[in-house]
Amino acid sequence: MKRKIGVYICECGPNIADNVHINKILEAVSSFGETDDIEIVVKSYKLLCSGEGKEYLKNEIEENKLTHLIVAACSPRDHNSTFINVCKQTSLNPYLYRMINIREHCAWIVHDKEQATERAIRYIRGGLRRVLFQTELYEKKLDINPDVLVVGGGIAGLEVALSLASPQRKVFLIEKKEILGGYAALYQSLLPRQQEARQEVQLKIKEVTNHPHIQVMTHTRLDQMIGFLGNFEVGVSSIGDSGTATDMKVGAIVVATGFSMTAISNFPQFRVRDGDEVYSALDIEGMLSEKGQIVRRSGDAPKSVGLIHCVGRDERGYCSRICCNAMIKIAGQIKAQDASIKVSAFIRDLCLPDKMDQDFFKEVKAQGVEFIRVQDIKSDGLRVQYTGMDMHSVNADFDMLVLAPAMEPAEGTAGLASDLGIPLHETGFYQEAHQTINPVATATDGVFVVGAAHGPKGITDSVLQAQAAAAKIMSMLIPGEKIIPEVKVSEVLEAFCMGCKTCLEVCHYGAIVFDEEKSISVVKEAICRGCGNCAGSCPSGAIQLKHFTNPQIYQEVIEALR
Amino acid sequence: MGADPHCGAEISVEKETGKTILNFLKHMLNQKLIDGLLMPVMVPSGDSYAWILMKDSTLVDRANPLAPVMPVQGAKALKSLTRKGKSDMTVAAVMRPCEVKAAVELSKLSQVNLDQLILVSYDCPGAIPLEMYSQDPAGKESHFRSMIEGKQFEEDSVKPVCQFCTDFSVPASDLHFALAGEEGSKPVIVSCSEKGSSLMDKMGLKTSHDLTPWENRVEEIRKAKSKKREEIYKTVQHMVEGFDNLLDTFSDCIGCHNCQSACPICYCRQCYFDSKEARPEARFLLEQAEKRGGISFPQDKILFHVGRMSHMSLSCVSCGLCSDACPVSIPVARIFSYVGSQTQKAFEYDAGKTAGEALPMKEYKMDELQEIHEMIKSAESGEVPHE
Repeated sequence: MKRKIGVYICECGPNIADNVHINKILEAVSSFGETDDIEIVVKSYKLLCSGEGKEYLKNEIEENKLTHLIVAACSPRDHNSTFINVCKQTSLNPYLYRMINIREHCAWIVHDKEQATERAIRYIRGGLRRVLFQTELYEKKLDINPDVLVVGGGIAGLEVALSLASPQRKVFLIEKKEILGGYAALYQSLLPRQQEARQEVQLKIKEVTNHPHIQVMTHTRLDQMIGFLGNFEVGVSSIGDSGTATDMKVGAIVVATGFSMTAISNFPQFRVRDGDEVYSALDIEGMLSEKGQIVRRSGDAPKSVGLIHCVGRDERGYCSRICCNAMIKIAGQIKAQDASIKVSAFIRDLCLPDKMDQDFFKEVKAQGVEFIRVQDIKSDGLRVQYTGMDMHSVNADFDMLVLAPAMEPAEGTAGLASDLGIPLHETGFYQEAHQTINPVATATDGVFVVGAAHGPKGITDSVLQAQAAAAKIMSMLIPGEKIIPEVKVSEVLEAFCMGCKTCLEVCHYGAIVFDEEKSISVVKEAICRGCGNCAGSCPSGAIQLKHFTNPQIYQEVIEALR
Repeated sequence: MGADPHCGAEISVEKETGKTILNFLKHMLNQKLIDGLLMPVMVPSGDSYAWILMKDSTLVDRANPLAPVMPVQGAKALKSLTRKGKSDMTVAAVMRPCEVKAAVELSKLSQVNLDQLILVSYDCPGAIPLEMYSQDPAGKESHFRSMIEGKQFEEDSVKPVCQFCTDFSVPASDLHFALAGEEGSKPVIVSCSEKGSSLMDKMGLKTSHDLTPWENRVEEIRKAKSKKREEIYKTVQHMVEGFDNLLDTFSDCIGCHNCQSACPICYCRQCYFDSKEARPEARFLLEQAEKRGGISFPQDKILFHVGRMSHMSLSCVSCGLCSDACPVSIPVARIFSYVGSQTQKAFEYDAGKTAGEALPMKEYKMDELQEIHEMIKSAESGEVPHE
């Protein structure tokens, strides 16, 4: 069959045109395939990505009846999809097109014009050879389920559920405890505005429980999950005697399992015996919520309170973000209870990141709370022993000590991560897909992590992330619309597969399954992300990555190096 | 390990060690402790051996568990038997230590299923080079028998890779016949696994024989062979250093790929180097000839050998079948054994030692290949790289 390849060299204004000899490239490229039954059409154009450029390209494809297309221009990261869309408007399959980068990879980095021209010619010839080995690929459209499963009924989970639930989208909310609200429901006051937090959270809980499109299952845990974005199948069961199991189909899963507090007993440098008036910040929150004031076990108020910040920061390796504010709040509340109580806060650094935090700190300090920066600190009962910044060692005795321990991942995090196939960060919290580009997603498309489960944070930030995840889900899973899974996926050539299972070990998306009967590996195309790990690791060469097959890569390299 | 690992069990001994082992196995078969036996049997023409799977105990007498040559790697026979899944019947296979190692490697690649297999090994004095054997089978048969009966484990008449094999007494099997020792000492059976111990229990064998003298003797032999390994590797080192040396080394290669066919580790249905990609078009070859002034055929010889090294050297068990199979007598075995020892060292991996050790390519360790990290660091900082 006669093949006609169109090669369009974009001048990219002066970017490419000034740095290579366009006419030399045109000449060199037109001689390609003189020996084969391949016809080459090669032209240059000022700016292919412009409106006119795209229209020009579309006409060229149709008028010349091109069977293959090469665009030699900028980086595919910039405009690969631009030209794919041009192809889609014609009868040319977009996978018979290849974009060659002669800007970032050539014109912009090779300063000798002759050398740059030579390189551009080689790249283009390589692409020309490669494109002949490319085959048509067809995108599929898959039905999706717009419903969402939220794991965890704390403030983040409640927020996600409320943001997403609608007549077209049902939300299933499972919570392992028997009540909703998580830690936020325990707090009497929320920083920095000192509002009645419990009331706010209770309102949210009520809204969720009464919502017509949210199904709440308390005392329930996740058993297993299979599937992919838009098509997950999840099994949950009730904790406790009945153990009733329920299966559901959802399109996305949001993990909002929160945190737990490290026990003070984990830190041998803070010796606490039974009966000692030593509390964690959370204990004090509880005491304030219940009794409205700080009291010792004996019933009378302490005359002096020592607050020790950063308990566990060194051991865990991270700052827990909310404790400084929480401890300053507690200090302020103690002073409000009785200004004569001596309050000393032992700090390492102060973490006061939000816009109202500095003023709040100043306010509390003005009430007479002493802030002492220490190099190291330990305690034995109610005696605090610390080394100040002046290197002097000091002993200080108090009637009560409050320690701020580190936040850590909630119990069961590792197990859930494994069930969902998502990785953990080295701190033990869930790992996000990308810190800045994709901060609420995970390595598994369709599984999100929000709130303290992702890392230490307070209520505000948890709500922020919850809304972000909800927004992502709303744009990815539009009720009634289909999704197009990745087309450039791996495939296992049955004839060559020897069933050694090496590919199964290197696939981190769970996209390969083993057919026990045939003793071969099979790729689940809808989950495959086309990373190519399997193709690279297969000892038999039985796995090919579509659009990046061995012949395609090999031929491109051979031709470029001729 | 089974009962006291330092004790073996005495068995009824015949004049010839081979017969001792045969009787033991026949007994296992008659007692229905196993369903079948896999052993080498001499072929009718009298100059080679074939692997025979036998269920009938009357056939057992025709086998020779201590065959002087290894024309087919035993692991391949095990692969044919269990590639689709574990065997339905319990089969005891008498294998050389390198065949056991190859089977262990193949089990990591799902090509051999060790579940219903009882691997029986023995202290191996080595194998005679196939070429030498076929020139005088009868002579070599008696020579090998005298090596076994004379407990000679450091002979030069065996293949070079056998001369430096320090795994000749490797316990990756289930049962092992301890043959090394003072001349005249009786062979003793040692259990090397749970399976082995349980079998010995069922046979009523008591592990009461102190193995210390045998262990000491094995250690002595190992030390001597280790020295031999250094010597032999030294002679081979230059053969693979640099492209020019590689060209010289493989100049006689006719591209038959026999080495790949004979290798137990090369299990691919179609070797990459036999695939379409490995066959360039005439036009490309003509261009190469023009550029370089000439081109030899078969082309890409070095690519084949270096490629095969990169594909299988991490699992090379130094069995030497590749050299046996080479029609132009290239010392492939020594070369691949040497390269394998280096690549395995880089990953601190010992091919075939235990089924539990994961293949380096299937496992990621944060702290491996530190030398490469060092090289990159020094390159980035502009230091001169180490030689």
